[in-house]
Amino acid sequence: MGFGLPWALAAMVAIGIPIAAHLLRRQKLPQQTLPTIAFLHRIHATRAARLRVVDWLLLVIRVLLVTALVLVAAAPYRVVHSSLLDRQHALAVVFDDSLSMAAIHEGKTLIERAAELSVEQINRLPEGSEASIVLAGKPPRVWVRRRSELDMIDHALGEIEARSTRAGALCEAVQSAVELLLESDLADRRLLVISDFTRGARADQCEWPSRGIRVGFEVVSTPNPDNRRIASVDVTAEPEPAEGLRLEVQIEGSSTTIPQKVRLRQRGQETQRAPVRWAGDRGEATLVIEAGLMDAVIELRLDPDDVLPADNVRGVLLGSDTIHVLLVDGDPHPDPRKRETAFLSHALSVAPLVGRSFAVEALDAQDLSESAIIRSDVVVLANAALEEKWLPLIQRFVSGGGSLWITAGDRINPRVYGSLLRDLLPGRYTATRMEERPLTFASSTLPELDQAKVRARTPIAEINLDAVVTARFSDGSPAMVEHRYRSGRVAMFATTIDDAWTDLPYQPVFVPFVLDTLGRLAGRTNHAIEPYEPVSLPGSTSTQRIQVVTPTGRTVDLAEADRVTFRDTGEIGAYRVLVNGVSGERFAFVVNAPSAESDLISQSPPQEQPGAEVSSADASQGSEQPLAPALLLLALALLFGELVLRQIRRR
Amino acid sequence: MTHVLEPELAVRLAGLTLRAKRTVDGLLAGMHRSPHRGASAIFKEHRAYRPGDDPRLIDWRAYARSDRYAIKHFEHETQLRGTLALDISRSMHWGSSDVSKLDHAATLLAALAYVLTRQGDAVSLITFDETVRDRVPPRSGAAHLDYLMRVLAQPSASEGKTSLHESLDKLIEHAGRMGLVVVASDLLDLEGAALEPIARLQARGHQTIVLHVLDPAELELPFEHPMRFEGLEGESPLEVDPEGIRRRYREAVDQFVASCQTRIVAAGARYMLARTDTPPEHTLLQLLRET
Repeated sequence: MGFGLPWALAAMVAIGIPIAAHLLRRQKLPQQTLPTIAFLHRIHATRAARLRVVDWLLLVIRVLLVTALVLVAAAPYRVVHSSLLDRQHALAVVFDDSLSMAAIHEGKTLIERAAELSVEQINRLPEGSEASIVLAGKPPRVWVRRRSELDMIDHALGEIEARSTRAGALCEAVQSAVELLLESDLADRRLLVISDFTRGARADQCEWPSRGIRVGFEVVSTPNPDNRRIASVDVTAEPEPAEGLRLEVQIEGSSTTIPQKVRLRQRGQETQRAPVRWAGDRGEATLVIEAGLMDAVIELRLDPDDVLPADNVRGVLLGSDTIHVLLVDGDPHPDPRKRETAFLSHALSVAPLVGRSFAVEALDAQDLSESAIIRSDVVVLANAALEEKWLPLIQRFVSGGGSLWITAGDRINPRVYGSLLRDLLPGRYTATRMEERPLTFASSTLPELDQAKVRARTPIAEINLDAVVTARFSDGSPAMVEHRYRSGRVAMFATTIDDAWTDLPYQPVFVPFVLDTLGRLAGRTNHAIEPYEPVSLPGSTSTQRIQVVTPTGRTVDLAEADRVTFRDTGEIGAYRVLVNGVSGERFAFVVNAPSAESDLISQSPPQEQPGAEVSSADASQGSEQPLAPALLLLALALLFGELVLRQIRRR
Repeated sequence: MTHVLEPELAVRLAGLTLRAKRTVDGLLAGMHRSPHRGASAIFKEHRAYRPGDDPRLIDWRAYARSDRYAIKHFEHETQLRGTLALDISRSMHWGSSDVSKLDHAATLLAALAYVLTRQGDAVSLITFDETVRDRVPPRSGAAHLDYLMRVLAQPSASEGKTSLHESLDKLIEHAGRMGLVVVASDLLDLEGAALEPIARLQARGHQTIVLHVLDPAELELPFEHPMRFEGLEGESPLEVDPEGIRRRYREAVDQFVASCQTRIVAAGARYMLARTDTPPEHTLLQLLRET
């Protein structure tokens, strides 16, 4: 017997109420002298014994009534132990196929052992039962949905991958399994959770079913939980840029007497190795990548493998902080030093001094191409006359997460921009105005902008509601307007980025203005994800061939779609992306093992979870019968009994 | 008991004349007829001569008329000897109102004493519980009446319970012969032979009146809520819900009252229920009119 709400039993102290009332009533009865008490005795003699019995019965009934009501509130249930062979029931197996379950013991992963256990349980089901299997690796998946064909279920269990890189999603899987059980018409519902119950499972955070479902646990664990993983990699530049990068590899886990190495793989080839130096339960290894051999992503592997090989691999993004900027000069000045791209490039060249990294590509407007755009984080259209053929390129680029900065100039035709890019732009350019008296800028984030003088401008009007004015002219009109368009951002600047209309490029504030604007527009996305998380890639497969090379060297051609999403991220390590056969560095990403899954020490199943009907691993043999209805009936009967006794007492 | 005999009650009772139903012995000739036959001015009856009768009492004139020996009976007006008996057991001290049964009974007996004394009769008094506690010998006169009043107002203290049989036996010895005996008691002596002495009183020629003094609460058990009832004469206490047993209690008390009445009347005595909520003058008026 158990209780769904055991804390309600505290109300059992209420039993004292009828007892106290009984005693108090006896003590506090008013006293009355009566000379004819002999007649009372004479009458009472015939019923005194009966009344005494009635009084005691009343007390007993009241105590039982309170007890019954308290027990009802505590949601009691009775465990009916019955053989699996004698009763049909609905069984939902939550099968943990997270990374920690890929630990190997005696040549088998825990997943394989769990599958064997599941087969045993399934084969013990009486005929007519139904079974569901929910896999608890992230994301949780319903592997078998309420089937009663045992052969089919066994077969499905055999198809579960023996190795996994998934994070744990036990609680979500339990929720799905409970929903499946509740869909069943069978009254006897059982939930069996097969897991290693490591820290990563977070079983103690799950919401276990409180009524009507019997929960059982099977713990599968490795007796040798010694495991090591690459915890982190610090990438630092060598003192001389030509010397490349230094990788400080941190390793966590129990130390071992077996010599350990960290192997460096680039583009699928091992290029370096370094021994691991152990200090307690932490190890370190140092690798240096020469400048000429740097790649967007690399992969590190701890060798030799331990019980959980999957977390011995780690992908590392190199130079991922670099913002790729494409500068498009719409009106190249005869003097290269006077071009917009020259001013911008000069400003960006200072970026490394302030800890920023920009990769700049400048080209004239007539040389603009899709491949150039797709390689960039930000495209700057500097005084560029808009050509209609660019429109789909720009739209795809911005929709896919790229950013666009348009700066004004004499080649800007407000009407053309308004008609072709109206949806994309945060506002509308109006006719260019030459100012009789120079204006200045006003910006709360960059107050020094007020030192620059503006002689001409292409005012921005009809600003979108979602747009943000990041800088204004001294007359209050917008100077810089930005807004988000789908996954990307678009900014409009109302004057030139060269010295044609303003002396801004000569002001010291020009550098932080450019760096802040480009950094804000680039808005770096996360390129390090957990296994099976989807990755959005900019670009279009309609005009480009986009391929993803997985850590194991597998090349995946992406299907045509407006927004490219890559979901096959189950392998741990470095992923490279090829655009028309050329490596697109800004798309590279890494998938790393969820850190919590590396702890292989099993915790106890959550048997003490309040509110959960849990039991030991063999609990799937029993089922709970709620006792509240029977107790309620008993309470009603007791109430009726009390009424009857009170009447008897009065007679 | 501050006012044994209310002055108002005494005035109202002054005009009443108690005539004993039967002739009694008396020390003084008075308004009452003597039970003794013989020298008297008032002829009562003739009866047939029986062997053993005094031949001097034969009425020769009647013999001459009827040719049968007849004895001539005369009546004597004689002084009445009234014996008042007051139950002072503990149960008599109880009352559901300000007036206890003892107060009520003493008032009734005082009134009777006053009436009897006013007409020159001798009145004696005993108080009793388990046994006789006070004895006031029969006398007449105002001084004696005062003494009676004092005893009635302040009888001996009693811690005992009612023992009618023993007390009435003692009363028989005290009352002499052929008098008026008035017993005021709640009769809460449920022994089967408790009232037997009444018959013996009657046999000794007494006119016996039993005033059955009961409180209305004793008769009706008007209490509402469960209570712990306690007796006054050593009975064990009892917790009872009166509502539950009221009907049966009333039946039992009615049966007790009826039983007392039946036994008293069967013994030849007169029974009168004297409820303490009935004004004493009503009880006395009824008693004297029917006597």
